[in-house]
Amino acid sequence: MNIKGAVRATWAWLDDRLGVRTVTDFLKHKPIPRNRHTPWMYTGSLVLVFFGIQVLTGIMLAFYYRPTLEEANKSIGEIMTKVPLGWIIRSVHSWSATFMIAIVFIHLLGIWVLKSYRKPREMTWMSGVLLLVFTLAFGFTGYLLPWDALSLAATKVGTDIPRSIPLIGAWGTRFLRGGEDISGDTLSRFFSFHVSVLPLCLLAALALHVYLIQKLGMSLPVGADEEAEARRAIPFWPNFVYREAIVWLVFAGVLVTIAVFLPPTLGKAADLMAPAPEGIKPEWYFLFLFQTLKVFPAKILFITGDTVAVLLILLAAALFFFLPLLDNKPAGRKGKIITILAFLLVVYAVAMSIWSLQTPSKPEADKIVPAPQNIKESTAIYVFLGGIWLSVAVLTYLLRLKIKETDRLLHVGYFSSDRR
Amino acid sequence: MRLKHSLFTRRQFLNGLLGGWLGVLAGLFLYPVLKFIFPPEREPEQVLLPLADYGSLEAGAIKNFAWGRKPGMLKKTAGGELIAFVSVCTHLDCNVAYLPDKKKFFCACHEGWYDENGVNIGGPPPKPLRRLAVTTEGENLVIKPEGAA
Ligand code: HEM
Ligand code: FES
Repeated sequence: MNIKGAVRATWAWLDDRLGVRTVTDFLKHKPIPRNRHTPWMYTGSLVLVFFGIQVLTGIMLAFYYRPTLEEANKSIGEIMTKVPLGWIIRSVHSWSATFMIAIVFIHLLGIWVLKSYRKPREMTWMSGVLLLVFTLAFGFTGYLLPWDALSLAATKVGTDIPRSIPLIGAWGTRFLRGGEDISGDTLSRFFSFHVSVLPLCLLAALALHVYLIQKLGMSLPVGADEEAEARRAIPFWPNFVYREAIVWLVFAGVLVTIAVFLPPTLGKAADLMAPAPEGIKPEWYFLFLFQTLKVFPAKILFITGDTVAVLLILLAAALFFFLPLLDNKPAGRKGKIITILAFLLVVYAVAMSIWSLQTPSKPEADKIVPAPQNIKESTAIYVFLGGIWLSVAVLTYLLRLKIKETDRLLHVGYFSSDRR
Repeated sequence: MRLKHSLFTRRQFLNGLLGGWLGVLAGLFLYPVLKFIFPPEREPEQVLLPLADYGSLEAGAIKNFAWGRKPGMLKKTAGGELIAFVSVCTHLDCNVAYLPDKKKFFCACHEGWYDENGVNIGGPPPKPLRRLAVTTEGENLVIKPEGAA
């Protein structure tokens, strides 16, 4: 038997047992609508790419990171100065977190303005909001791990927020902190959340999300002519995947480049007894909440200001989660008010974030600023970046050829021969 | 099957018993798990500060000490009395700083202000800083929660 035959026989053997063809057939027939809203559809898989990068770089960081009071800050310092290329791995993890969160926001925003969450896709939206929550929780728990003054202050405030919720809030704070106050137990707990609890939660929500997307198919824009859309649609495999792959490649290139040139620094180890440093701010994705808490007055009537603020924020989150049940109009209605609401929300978040940036933060005096260790390493990095961008360019060119080819094949009905 | 005056069938009874018992079992497992997750509170009953180190404060000056896991501040008022605070912001728990030139406590997290007696005067803090009781016993200052004799 020749090699080709052997491969084919192995494939047939596997397919018999795993039913691979059911999946590939499904993907070949899954139609992706093609209209001016199609760009939004690249955001979902892009989130997945960044999550994959987080898992890989996160596991690598965990090889050297030590989650204890004495060692946490020191071990990250070592990752940045002693572990070969450790500073780049940390930088990629930190930047990819930013990208992932930004794109989750954009992803949900797109679905909001397109009203894709309407019947029957309500639960797809809800699982998406859960994914947002878990992603933000990843960012929040990860931020403490370097254990410097900034991360301690952010965690103090963040874990104290539940306490403002009447009745059950104090339990929430104690659950997060592992006690009344932040301590080494908080650090262990956050590490456990970050590297085991949250990955499991996120994967579970992701499984539901992806299952629903496959089961329900892609939504069409409000008021679309279904027949015309069906004629224009392209199959997910291979026509759409080639298009997505270009986006993945470009973003991966951008990520690595930014990570090399703008690595995160590290402040001195946090002191549990020291006053909070001046001009502290949380990560950018919490700025608007941070500023909201800051401008709320100490007392509103009889109630503490932050209780009101936190309850309002919780209410907003609940409304956000239940959006598909509130806006349960038939899929054909435009829903202008809902669109305006999304717009207002974005304006609010951006304005509050910019406002909060008006307080200057004091740059810390002696912090570790990562850099290549020697000339050899920095030369190698430039060669590496050059190689990455050359590959991105070449692959993009080849992928465009493949797109043209598969589109032509689709047009002449080559793929429809195996249409059921 | 249902007996003549019974409210439910044998199957409902059995299912109810099974489900209920499973619930009890789940509760039995949950209890130790919750116990484990929420450790008991640990606030010090008192903290002793040697008079030799802390007694000689000048009027208006501040000295830090550890109130369990929280920072505390001992202050001598203009009148010469010793008072103590838990120097943790009543807004969202950040550690506050004392600014001697302004004679105020400042919280950097959301720009909260307290006057020199720890009373909240600006920004989001809803309450004054928590006061602690200071007494002298032999060679030591004794810091206790207010109200504890
Ligand atoms: C299974 C997946 C993951 C593992 C094993 C992991 C592991 C780690 C470890 C060990 C650290 C400490 C090192 C350091 O701070 O540089 C860390 C930090 C961090 N992680 Fe993750 N992580 C994972 C996923 C994620 C995800 C999905 C996000 C965000 C969307 C995220 C966001 C962060 C952030 C913001 C930091 C702090 C970065 C810094 O200041 O260096 N992580 N992670
Ligand atoms: S925690 Fe002090 S002002 Fe908010």
